[in-house]
Amino acid sequence: MTVLAEPTLSDVQMVVEEVWSSFLGAEEPLLPGMPGELATGWSAAVTVSGAWDGMISVEVPTEMAEEVTRRMLAVDEAADEDVADAVGELVNMIGGNVKSLMPGPSALSLPVVAAGRVARSSDAVEVCRLDASWAGSPLLVSVHVHRPTQS
Amino acid sequence: MYALIIDDSRAMRSILRRTVTDLGFETLEAGNGQEALDHLEAGRVPDLCLIDWNMPVMDGYTFITKVRANHAWRDITLMMVTTESEHGQIVRALAAGAHEYVIKPFTPDAIAEKLEMLGLVARAVPA
Repeated sequence: MTVLAEPTLSDVQMVVEEVWSSFLGAEEPLLPGMPGELATGWSAAVTVSGAWDGMISVEVPTEMAEEVTRRMLAVDEAADEDVADAVGELVNMIGGNVKSLMPGPSALSLPVVAAGRVARSSDAVEVCRLDASWAGSPLLVSVHVHRPTQS
Repeated sequence: MYALIIDDSRAMRSILRRTVTDLGFETLEAGNGQEALDHLEAGRVPDLCLIDWNMPVMDGYTFITKVRANHAWRDITLMMVTTESEHGQIVRALAAGAHEYVIKPFTPDAIAEKLEMLGLVARAVPA
């Protein structure tokens, strides 16, 4: 049976802050709110299926995706395949930890990464949205669930 | 001491490589459980495996069951390093033969503490 639960904004914020501070350095903290419009350069998503069904996605501008990649891989230049890998690993960690806050058991998918926005099914409803900024760039983390249509 | 880092993310392998290299390990890497088994079958048998759960081709849990089924590899220390944090999955991995379980995200200190507890790195002595 699928449980209709939703993560709270504070849950998602706690998870994202922990990922950021662990791997991207605590000296440049994640801040609430977006410092401007987000021009999505890269995005990634994981789906959770089982007792709780949902999709967790991350959208970042190209410059942030490249900086995240340079820091995670400790390299000076970030090739596109490295950016896809790093952004995918970020959403994997965020999605896995959001999954742990929801009713289980459930399974986590491998990440899907896109240059641009990842596709969502038309019946997906956004239930949580974290607007944040890091190093002056905007960042969006969102959680979508499938709501059964009412007849 | 050799550590085999098994994760489908190059970024995560890089982070783990830096972490265990700082602790004195030399490293090998694999992008999934099958690649890791290929290392072992070729005679590159590490002291420690750091294993992600969700990977293409062969996942970390299956890798653990295959390692534990081979008596020749009984001395390898197996540590899961994964985002999977449901209690049932942790119990399943430990029952299959994992020695330790680390949930991502982690800090280098968390990895060091686990390896100290396993006796794979020297315990830090306060000055």
